[in-house]
Amino acid sequence: QEEAQAIDQELFTEYKFSVDQLMELAGLSCATAIAKAYPPSSFTSSQPAVLVVCGPGNNGGDGLVCARHLKMFGYLPTVYYPKRPSKPLFEGLTTQCEKMDIPFLPEFPTEAAFIDEVYGLVVDAIFGFSFKGAVREPFGSILSTLERVTVPIASIDIPSGWDVEKGKADGLQPDMLISLTAPKKAATHFAGRYHFLGGRFVPPALQEKYALNLPAYPGTDCVLQLT
Amino acid sequence: SRLLQAFPLPSLPRKQPTVLVVCGPAQNGAIGLVCARHLRIFDYEPTIFYPKRSPDPLYRDFTTQCEKMDIPFLSYLPTEVQLINDAYNAVVDAVLGAEAEVGEGREPCAAILATLKHIRIPIVSLDVPSGWDAESGGSGGISPDVLVSLAAPKECARRFLGRQHFVAGRFLPYDVQKKFELNPPEYPGTECVVAL
Repeated sequence: QEEAQAIDQELFTEYKFSVDQLMELAGLSCATAIAKAYPPSSFTSSQPAVLVVCGPGNNGGDGLVCARHLKMFGYLPTVYYPKRPSKPLFEGLTTQCEKMDIPFLPEFPTEAAFIDEVYGLVVDAIFGFSFKGAVREPFGSILSTLERVTVPIASIDIPSGWDVEKGKADGLQPDMLISLTAPKKAATHFAGRYHFLGGRFVPPALQEKYALNLPAYPGTDCVLQLT
Repeated sequence: SRLLQAFPLPSLPRKQPTVLVVCGPAQNGAIGLVCARHLRIFDYEPTIFYPKRSPDPLYRDFTTQCEKMDIPFLSYLPTEVQLINDAYNAVVDAVLGAEAEVGEGREPCAAILATLKHIRIPIVSLDVPSGWDAESGGSGGISPDVLVSLAAPKECARRFLGRQHFVAGRFLPYDVQKKFELNPPEYPGTECVVAL
């Protein structure tokens, strides 16, 4: 976890990347990976409806960007975003989604079965690699519901609720994991079908410095399928 | 939206995938900087010529990102075109975009364009071939091999005679597309570039 934070720090302070830039590239990777693993034609219902659950921090921001690109790719995303930071970045991302007619749910569905019925996929953009400590409401109840959902769940960077290094055996079991920048330790506990790498922005010098040993991305793709 | 730029996919003939990216003083140049950085990530070897740097903090950060990624910045553009032809596989023209003034152009753009007119390696122009009028096109200006129209083709693209025309910048919301009657082509799958 510290390494991931150190890399982020360098990208922002040394390389002068803005959070906006990297979040945009990260969110785009997530949408691209999802489109590769779950193309619209693979949805059982005629509408490729996706529920994007956004948490209170940067992982949530990644989710908003992802939702917007999913819309551009022909999906029908709906966002649930209960705790919104009052920062221009997040307000901007929210506006972009709203202006693209992406609905924001006023309440989280209480029953997992309801989610299964309406959506073909759930994107878990609740907590990322900076997550520490206890899960605060409303996310505790949201995660309990998500644990009972049967449609596939795609988690951004870390399955929410997992310990960033050790995972969580009785927690969320997503079908897809999109590791951003590099896979985190928790990824070794990932048991789903699809593991993608995204966030193709780490300069070669940083990759070397932290011995990331990332496999090569194909061509100009912004995602790499690991499994 | 500037943060999400797309890159044409040429096939390079030469041993070292060197590319010269010539960046003008305004937004088109900034897009060139972002392009150069991604080219580096894609394992090309870009070199940048950016003589007149914008004071905009966002664009200055783009410059830092390139420098920190060990992308060299030339201190001058050789007037000997053969030097350019020999050293690089292609030139990315990110000098002037649709916002540029018509006419002779100011230094250093005029001198840059004068040099670029004579090179033999392919030129990839971002949005508008630099020096062309954004609407009526150019005569006697540069003749790019590839044009990457950003968001939607500009009027002057009708006069484009090069090999490949791409549209890139897959970020226009549908209502904006409709409002301005843009009718952009459909992007395939998750691609952010479409060939016209």
